[in-house]
Amino acid sequence: MIQSGQHKPQTRSTGAARPPAIEVEDLTVSYGPVPALLDVSLTIEEGKLVGIIGPNGSGKSTLMKAMLGFIKPDVGTVKIFGSDVAGIKGRVAYVPQRGAVDWDFPITVREVAAMGRYSYRRWWQDLKQQDYALAEEALVKVRMSDFADRQIGQLSGGQQQRVFMARALTQNADILLLDEPFAGVDAATERAILDVLEDLKNDGKTVVVVHHDLATAAEYFDLLILLKQRLFGFGPPKMILNPKLLGDVYEGTLRVFAELERQGAEG
Amino acid sequence: MQDAIIQFQLDYGYLINPLIVGTLVSIVCSVVGCFIVLRGMSFLADAIAHSMLAGVIAGYLFMKVLFGQESHLGGMLIGATLAGILTVAMVGLVTRFSRIKQDTAIGIMYTGIFALGSFLLSLDSVGSLVLIDIYHFIVGDVMAVKTGELWLLAIVTSIVLSVVILFYRPLQLTSFDPIMAASIGIPVLAVEYLLTACTSLVVVSGVQIAGVILVVALIITPAASAYLLTDRLDRMIVASAILGVVGFWTGFLIAIVTGSAAGAAVVITMTAFFFLCLVFAPRHGLLADWIRKRNTVPQEIMEDVLGSVLRSGDGFVPVEEVLGYISKPNIKIRKSIDMLERQGLLDVQDDKLKLTKDGLFEARRLVRAHRLWETYLDQTSVPKEEIHSRAHQLEHLQDESMVDYLDDKLGHPITDPHGSEIPIDEKRVARNEKVLLSLLREGYRAQILEKKVCQEAIAIEVGQVVSIGKRSEDGTIWTVVTDAGDILQLDHDQADALLVQIVEN
Repeated sequence: MIQSGQHKPQTRSTGAARPPAIEVEDLTVSYGPVPALLDVSLTIEEGKLVGIIGPNGSGKSTLMKAMLGFIKPDVGTVKIFGSDVAGIKGRVAYVPQRGAVDWDFPITVREVAAMGRYSYRRWWQDLKQQDYALAEEALVKVRMSDFADRQIGQLSGGQQQRVFMARALTQNADILLLDEPFAGVDAATERAILDVLEDLKNDGKTVVVVHHDLATAAEYFDLLILLKQRLFGFGPPKMILNPKLLGDVYEGTLRVFAELERQGAEG
Repeated sequence: MQDAIIQFQLDYGYLINPLIVGTLVSIVCSVVGCFIVLRGMSFLADAIAHSMLAGVIAGYLFMKVLFGQESHLGGMLIGATLAGILTVAMVGLVTRFSRIKQDTAIGIMYTGIFALGSFLLSLDSVGSLVLIDIYHFIVGDVMAVKTGELWLLAIVTSIVLSVVILFYRPLQLTSFDPIMAASIGIPVLAVEYLLTACTSLVVVSGVQIAGVILVVALIITPAASAYLLTDRLDRMIVASAILGVVGFWTGFLIAIVTGSAAGAAVVITMTAFFFLCLVFAPRHGLLADWIRKRNTVPQEIMEDVLGSVLRSGDGFVPVEEVLGYISKPNIKIRKSIDMLERQGLLDVQDDKLKLTKDGLFEARRLVRAHRLWETYLDQTSVPKEEIHSRAHQLEHLQDESMVDYLDDKLGHPITDPHGSEIPIDEKRVARNEKVLLSLLREGYRAQILEKKVCQEAIAIEVGQVVSIGKRSEDGTIWTVVTDAGDILQLDHDQADALLVQIVEN
């Protein structure tokens, strides 16, 4: 009934033959009568660092959950490297939004990091020494190895974010999805996360990030997805961050006016 | 000897079955309970317990009408389990397809199904067929357990425990992060139904001891107590099982001695254990929390004490004088003095205080932060009468780079607006370290180590030793004297461009 999520690291084939990392086609998702996503189609090529922007409740997290195969779409498909997301196991790693995690759960930093190895073991197997070694390595990379035995609730916000980054690194997936990783973290953590994302990109991984800060979006990402139920734009930041498009999506909230002015001033 | 054993069996043999059953049931209930508590499913477990009544009657009738078996425990067990799963499925259905929230849906479904069971039972046509002692079903009767039932419960226990051991990681991950679980191919919904099936099984077995009304306590109370005791799921499960078994034995013995209802006594004991954990748990207990709160002295108060000792001058200062300096004295001051003494920052003798070397360093750092903030605030629109109190709050900010920024922005001032001296940055002006020349005060001698590029050239070479003279022009011009006797006037940028090492002062 339950299949293990074992997968073999795919050898890098000649670029042209390899299907795109993520292919979303005609995606419509609804919660009861309310549509969360309507007719979204986009293709993300491998090795790109992509930001998803849009106002609150615009379906950013829903798009991410669809890419993880967590929700069944009403219409449309999500394909990961050419095969349906439902059959994909462990090739997509996920860093949840901080508010979506039960920080009182009885689990230590080391155990969370080691979860990244679950997809490499059958469901009844225990993790091996080697799995914990890999988790330790990832914790060192995000500078959290000193806290390995702490319960996850006893960390600062930035540290909590880094633990989940470590879990994603341990999973060694081809695609990483991060839900608002920069929300409410200190500058040091923001820097650390960005460095890790850069490294991942250089390793040829595809990274998709839900992001709320328009001011930094252009600086952080190669491509931006502008979302409000429908897809309003998908392309390089220069193309997406234009006052007309943002005005349509954000409908003149105060913040956006300030944002537009800034955009205007920069030309 | 032989006789004694036989006599013992005659006297107490009737206790053996109940004790075995109780032990098995409390282990399995409290283990499954851990997942129920963590997933916030307690109310659902309660619902399953109540809806069982209908399932038990259905199973009973099924076995009696079709096979002529009277009160067939297996039939009732299966019926009850199915009723539990049906309840959960209905709750899921209602929540999904209507605007009704889950807790309401649970409330409606289980009372409805429970009512269906009692309605059927009260009908003469059904009631005459079903010979269940409804009272025992509601409050439980562990003493009435027969050997056949014992075997059945042993099987249920081993099934459920094997499921939890085999499916430990899927259960853990779906409880903690269902989205990741789905992304690595764990069927989240199937795991949830598996847990629900286990819950139904343990509820049905728990009813033997405590009855439908109290059975939830066997499941959630030990688990919740264990949750307070530990920060790891594997340990929580073991602790929960131990608490469950010890709780059962204690409660059961109390019931035997006092001749009371075993179910009630067991639940009371478990609840008492919970309160013990709530108060005395090492990290999450109320007592630990209270001690922690009591022992932490706010950093600000400790810093205020240090600052006021410094301002009171050299040598030992009476405690009363320090109390006078602090605007809002409170009881924590005594405690913070103790704390500072333990940290080696204060020297305390007969109610008199003196800063140690480390304490002096720390106090100067604070006074420096305070006076820099005052100097800065003096240049902002903050009303003059508020400057002191604002600076007082801001000086406690932990970020040292903030103070460095202020210092640089203000041009490394020597005095604050009241004319008091701003202490030198002792941390940066340490021996054997590169330091900005601009941070040094009159009287220091230093060797130039590095000359950074700056707008105006500086007529000084790397390696030269200079003495720092008095600053002029309101402290904006640095004067340095080379050993050859040349006098140089440097502005802020130039002084910042020179990195030096202190030779002597």
